[in-house]
Parts: sequence; C-alpha cells; structure tokens
Amino acid sequence: MNPFELRNPDSVAAASGAAGPARVFKAAGIDLLDRLKERIDDPDALVNLLPLGAELGGIGRSDDGTIRLGALVTLQQIADSDALAAPGLRALREACGEAATPQVRSRATLGGNLLQRNRCWYFRSAAFQCAHDGKGDRCLAWHGENRYHAIFGVVDCLRVHPSNAAPPLMVLGAEVEVQRGEARRRQPIAALFPDSPAAATAEHTLGADDVLIAVHLPAAAARGGSAYRESREKQSFDWATTAAAVHLGVEGGRITSASICLGAVAPNPWPVDDAQSLVGEAPSRELFEQLARRVFRRATPTEQNRYKVEVGQAILVDALLAAAGL
Amino acid sequence: MTSSKVLGTFVVNGEPHEVAYAPHKTLLEVLREDLGLTGTKHGCELGECGACTVLLDGTPVVSCLVLAQEVEGRAIRTIEGLADGPDLHPLQDLFAELGASQCGYCSAGFMLAASELLERNPDPTRDEIRAAVAGNICRCTGYIKIFEAIELAAARLRGEQGQPTREMLYGS
Ligand SMILES: Cc1cc2nc3c(=O)[nH]c(=O)nc-3n(C[C@H](O)[C@H](O)[C@H](O)COP(=O)(O)OP(=O)(O)OC[C@H]3O[C@@H](n4cnc5c(N)ncnc54)[C@H](O)[C@@H]3O)c2cc1C
Ligand code: FES
Ligand code: FES
Repeated sequence: MNPFELRNPDSVAAASGAAGPARVFKAAGIDLLDRLKERIDDPDALVNLLPLGAELGGIGRSDDGTIRLGALVTLQQIADSDALAAPGLRALREACGEAATPQVRSRATLGGNLLQRNRCWYFRSAAFQCAHDGKGDRCLAWHGENRYHAIFGVVDCLRVHPSNAAPPLMVLGAEVEVQRGEARRRQPIAALFPDSPAAATAEHTLGADDVLIAVHLPAAAARGGSAYRESREKQSFDWATTAAAVHLGVEGGRITSASICLGAVAPNPWPVDDAQSLVGEAPSRELFEQLARRVFRRATPTEQNRYKVEVGQAILVDALLAAAGL
Repeated sequence: MTSSKVLGTFVVNGEPHEVAYAPHKTLLEVLREDLGLTGTKHGCELGECGACTVLLDGTPVVSCLVLAQEVEGRAIRTIEGLADGPDLHPLQDLFAELGASQCGYCSAGFMLAASELLERNPDPTRDEIRAAVAGNICRCTGYIKIFEAIELAAARLRGEQGQPTREMLYGS
C-alpha cells in the first residue's frame, strides 16, 4: 500500500466535513485495504468511521416494531441478533451468516458490505484498464473471462453486485439513513443503487461526503416468512454465483404478499417484479418452479455463465419453498 | 501523506511492546517486520486464506486487513503466545502428533481460530469445527487430520485422554 494518513473524526458531521477528493471513508477496511493493496484506489487520507460507534453502531428495536441497524453493525452481529429473530427477518440473518468467513464477518460492517466495490477480476486488478474504472474504453469481461458475471440488467459492463446483505434488505422494504454535514435524509434502499448512465462508473448513489448512518426496517418486515439461498463453488468462504432473497406473507393457505430480489446476477441487486403474480395463489413447488422459469427466461447470459440460468432457478425455488415453510 | 514512522505500543501475548512503525502498515506487517514475530504467516494478503489469523481481544481476525494503528493497546494473541511457557498447547501437541501440520504454513492460523472455538465451546461437533475454521485454507493435509487434532485437543482440554487411534496415525 502507498502511505496514507488515518483521520479519526469525533462526530459524523466532522467525518462528512473531512471528506473530499483523495479522501475516502473507512469502516472495518476489509474492502478498502484490499483495493489499496491492489492499487485501484490511492487516497491521501482515510476518514475512519470506526470510532463513531456511539452514533453508527447497534441494533435497536422500537416499541412500534421498527428496527434500526447502525451502519457499523457487523455481519456476525446481524447473524446472531435476537432482535432479528422473527421468521420474517430470517433472510437477512441467513445472508449475513453465510457471507465470507468467520474472520471477515466478525469485523465487516453492514455499511461497508452495501457500499463495497464489485469483484470483477478486471476491475480489481491495476493491470487492466476497463470502462467501469474509467481508465479504459470497454468492458473487458464481455470478450474475456466472464463466468461469474451478470445475466440480467447489463447495460455498460458485466459486473455483478457482490453484497449478501443487499437482496434481503431490498425484500424487507428497508430504508437507508444518510448524513451530509449536519443534514440527515432517509431513502428507500433501492435508491442506493444507480441506474444507467450513472452506473457506468459508480456502484452506489452516495456522494463523497455522504455517511451512511443506519438501515431501518419497517415493522411489517418481521411478519410473514423469509429466506436467503445462494449457490457458490466452494462450501466455505466463497462469493455467491447466484443468490435469492424472498419475503412471503401467507394466510389461510394463500400467498398475500411476495417480494423477491436476486443477488450476484446483475450490476445491482435485482428485484423481481413478477413476484406479484404469486399473490392469491396457494404456495407449491410447481407454482414456484413456474415462476423461476419465467424469471430466468429473460436472462441474457454470456458465453461462460449460462450455468447461472439453471442454478439461479434452483436457488430461487429453494428460497421460495423455505420462505413458505414448505 | 507521510511515510515517516510513529511510535506505538502493541500488547502482544500479554506483553506491551513499544515500536516505531510506518503508520499505514497492517497488523501483519508490524508483527512480522517490526516485532520479529514471524509465526503469523503472510499468505494471500486479501483476507482469503486465514494464514495471518490472530486473536484481537479474543476474536479471530485476518491481520492482513487490520490497520496496525487501530489496534494499539488492544490484546493481540499470536501463535507465539499459545504455549504456556515450556508447555505446548494441546492443539500444538496434536497438530504435531497427527501430522495435521505438513508444510505448516496454515497451522498457526488454524490453531488460533481453533483455540477461540475451544474457549467458547469445549465440546464442539465436527460441523462446529468446520464452521470455526471455514476461513482457513490448507493446501497439504486435506483437512481431516486438522479436524481430528482439534477434536482430540478439545478432549484433552476437558481433562480426557484424547489419544489418537491407530487409524488416525497410520491410516486404515
Ligand atoms: C475472503 C472474503 C470473502 C468475502 N465474501 C463475501 C461474501 O460472500 N458476501 C459478501 O457480501 N461480502 C463478502 N466479502 C466482502 C466483505 O463483506 C466486505 O468487504 C465488507 O463487508 C466491507 O465492510 P467494511 O466495514 O470492511 O467496509 P470498508 O472496506 O471499510 O468500506 C467499503 C466501502 O464502503 C465505504 N463505506 C463503508 N462504510 C461507510 C459508511 N458508513 N458511509 C459511507 N461510506 C462507507 C468505504 O468508503 C469503502 O469504499 C468478502 C470479503 C473477503 C475478504
Ligand atoms: S494473508 Fe491474510 S488472509 Fe491470507
Ligand atoms: S500444512 Fe501446508 S497448507 Fe496446511
């Protein structure tokens, strides 16, 4: 790593004020140090958020049933949290508990997980210049090695969104709270993920001086059933090749609400609008298989990642069955 | 931006060490290069292999992704601190007895991750052991001997005999 200065602000407002060109926020630093070592980022200073645990930490449940997850909460804390014990929130606990390794989960923060940069090997290596890192003129994965790359939503480049936490938070209707200077704002989590053309080089919509404060879950998220399933090449520590988060309401043998978001298959967490077609139906394997076929019929795989179409369907069906308690 | 050194105190294996180090170094680099504690191994550098695992306030972390500056004054345990004076930790005895260590590059990381598991769970199942060392990669042993060594070390720590079977030592 090139030398840099580590700044320890004493408040979120001070952290936001310390941001600027060539300065970058650091939470646990797991993604960031990796990028510094690979020389794909070269900041003069890291603005350390870890000392701000009082403002940015903790999992809290209010009397009205809403839940606040501080941006510095670790993936392991989420996986183990009693406040997230309800079946409706299981997808989030499962996704965080399956991510990475024990050594990573014990430090990796929720904020850093949502805002980490993608894992495309061309992007992650200073030896390659691609369009997404702003140094090249095209996506090198298109005609290169693309077995882990996107099969949905491809506009400019084939990267996939790597976060385990994002798909469950999408189906739970989460909102993110952001602070710039002294001002705080809340927005649906979906607004964190950029559309084209902003997505050409960015992977989230926050400004350089925006600090992610917390993620909020509505009380309704705890009701119903939910599940997260992912495929990967190795049993332990591996990035997902496909993933599915599902939240279902079932009453009197009929599905009353349904929300699905896929992970690791598109540049952003990929919400499935077709989930609405499940409402009113009786949950069954056949119903779920039909839906999965319809969803993945619209996939646009490249040469090496056609397997994601088959595997992704199976993972989606597994997640739906688990969320429905079947 | 500066590359000049700063002075800091690191509490490693219960002993404070004052050291002048470059402030952008990782904990792994300070342990190996500035404190001469080379038992902690330098593998992938990217959090993927677990060779650099140490305990930070009792929790296994990959020291290649921890900034040294952030852990001044906190309790760091490395493989050099696993033995109790001249007495090896049962994990160390059993890794040697069973051949759970071949080239040995991964062993320190495995033993530290396992030692934390045995602190909180004296009688873990094979699956609990697998989960606890899921962040550690071994390219030599095929893992079975490592799991067996951890199981027998757990038995010895519980005061049981924990003797290897003939099959564990010589195969069937
Ligand atoms: C071996 C390994 C396996 C992994 N496997 C998985 C996996 O299977 N699934 C998965 O999802 N992830 C996986 N990861 C990634 C890991 O979960 C992330 O690197 C980690 O969550 C990042 O969190 P952090 O606190 O270290 O963030 P940092 O590295 O500190 O920050 C990441 C980015 O987010 C920004 N940032 C962080 N917090 C804030 C905030 N509060 N406000 C504004 N900006 C912020 C930083 O500026 C930086 O750009 C793996 C990592 C490793 C090393
Ligand atoms: S060297 Fe740290 S995990 Fe491989
Ligand atoms: S003994 Fe050689 S890598 Fe594990």
